Amino acid sequence: MHLLAQDLVNGILAGGILAVVALGFSLVWGIMNIINLAHGAFVMLGAYVTWQLFTSFHLDPFLSLPISFVVLFVLGYLIQRFIINWVARAPVLTTFLLTFGLSLLVVNIALLIWTGDTRGVTTAYSGSNFTIGGITVPWAKLYTLIAALVITGVMYVWLHRSKTGRAIRATSMDIGAAQLAGVRVAQIYSIVFGLGAGLAGVAGTLVSLSYSLNPAMGQPFLIKGFVVCVLGGLGSVEGALVGGLTYGIVESFASQLDFSIGSQHISGAGLQDAVALVVLLVVLIFRPTGIMGRATA
Amino acid sequence: MSVASTGAVLRKIGLGGITGNRTALLISLGLMALLLFVPLALPGYQTLFRTTLVFVALAYAWNMIGGYTGYVSFGNMVFFGLGTYCAALLSARGIDNLVADIALAVVVNAAFAAIIGFPVLRLKGHYFGIATLGTALAVTDIVGNLDVFGGTGGLAVKQVDEAHFAIYYYAAWLVAAGAIAITFFVARSKVGYAFVAIRENEDAAAVLGISATKYKILAWAISAAIAGAAGAVYARGNGFIDPSIAFAEDFNVYPIVMTLLGGTGTVAGPFVGALILSAVNETLGHTFLKLHSLFFGAVIVLVVLLLPRGLVWLIGLRGGVRTWVKSLQGYKA
Repeated sequence: MHLLAQDLVNGILAGGILAVVALGFSLVWGIMNIINLAHGAFVMLGAYVTWQLFTSFHLDPFLSLPISFVVLFVLGYLIQRFIINWVARAPVLTTFLLTFGLSLLVVNIALLIWTGDTRGVTTAYSGSNFTIGGITVPWAKLYTLIAALVITGVMYVWLHRSKTGRAIRATSMDIGAAQLAGVRVAQIYSIVFGLGAGLAGVAGTLVSLSYSLNPAMGQPFLIKGFVVCVLGGLGSVEGALVGGLTYGIVESFASQLDFSIGSQHISGAGLQDAVALVVLLVVLIFRPTGIMGRATA
Repeated sequence: MSVASTGAVLRKIGLGGITGNRTALLISLGLMALLLFVPLALPGYQTLFRTTLVFVALAYAWNMIGGYTGYVSFGNMVFFGLGTYCAALLSARGIDNLVADIALAVVVNAAFAAIIGFPVLRLKGHYFGIATLGTALAVTDIVGNLDVFGGTGGLAVKQVDEAHFAIYYYAAWLVAAGAIAITFFVARSKVGYAFVAIRENEDAAAVLGISATKYKILAWAISAAIAGAAGAVYARGNGFIDPSIAFAEDFNVYPIVMTLLGGTGTVAGPFVGALILSAVNETLGHTFLKLHSLFFGAVIVLVVLLLPRGLVWLIGLRGGVRTWVKSLQGYKA
């Protein structure tokens, strides 16, 4: 029972990061109908921005959150404005391949700048944790979860209350009607893609606190982000949060799997990607609109 | 839309019917015939060209599902990887026969594609793409964790002695040639038209009575079988297999880039793209080791933006630069 509770807490703590990863991915997908395969690469860039600031200026990772956001927002805005916009309304597979190419570019540029060496962000509080009711909670992960909840909350309010946020939601509902109401769609697309990248950057910062860094680190997050999106339902902030937490818990329990078939020993910890695939397929077959239930494109 | 009028539409937009531009196809077949003489004429380049031929086959494998059927797969290296393991596992049991390797790889892969395709191919478009990527990562995980496959330590694959190495070259040539022939004949058959119909409009195809799921599974099984055969030959030529070789990212990315560059959904395209990119990669690989993946990323971006139908389309283009520029407009937000 105690172990189960610990797994549950671990899952929720990990799920917060996944929620932020999925948030940006979900926005771009839901509003622009673009599956951004460079999203994982953006997460990686956010992590490296944080690492660089931490190594060069001893800046606390949580203080570099806004910097990661701005750097990645600008990058995403420019990529949409000058590259993706050319094919923004092409069939989905065109942008699918285009962002795949962009992701290769970004990952390999990162490889040139930071090399393939594994790096880590080790703060004063990295190793410390506290125990409550027999359950161990690392401080860094708790802060990360709180940051993730705050970011999700801010995004929710901004999308529903601000003028730009409402223009974004209008565009996702009906492009033609939004245009008639004076929304400049190309501009909105650039902002949304920038926002998606910015949120990936923020997620990268949070990731850097608990995971080690290398230029290929983004891909698992791309897959998980996708699964979380499908799980939570597309294009909604609350869906990303619910999906992220759910997935975190599922993964945490799955990693405890430990059994043998004949002489073959099988441990769940090495099979994370297989778990992601199974969750994805099960959800798509039995509940294709996700837990929160908005119809997918 | 009837079979005849589909062909007419494809010809009208410069695609030269369902097999693509005929000139490009004839040039490709000529070059392919020349490649048969590499072990005699350029023995020093045998390994290089053998790898190129493996990539030619992989590009055709991807073209079947990604090009003709329009289902972009990011997991085709799984079939390549399973093919390599078929050869390695046979070798571990003392069976060293190329024909057996290829036969086993074809059967295992076609079966695996059909089984996994049943849930995965019910997904459309990008859902399919991500699911294939997920499948690839999952299978890599599983193979690396099972003792039968030698785990991360890998398996040795027994080879013939050095003097007879050309046999692996000819095997790779045969697999590549087989892939071209299969693509040509499948494309011209009723099955090929069903694939294209699914690519162009799956719902409309279903209305016409084309069972989309059945044909998609068929396309994926053919794709998997070709990739598996290529993997089996590669494993014998390489002499050793572990998860990082068998499921290397390169075997996933290169075939996609090659097919895109040459022209998706054509018979000549994958060959043209594979030849050009192998040559470029070989040159870049020696001079700038770290730059070649960067270069491949840049090629994808440029081709998608400037040459969405690939080089083969450019050869058959009617109306010159104006038609080309015009074809690039219209998708801006």
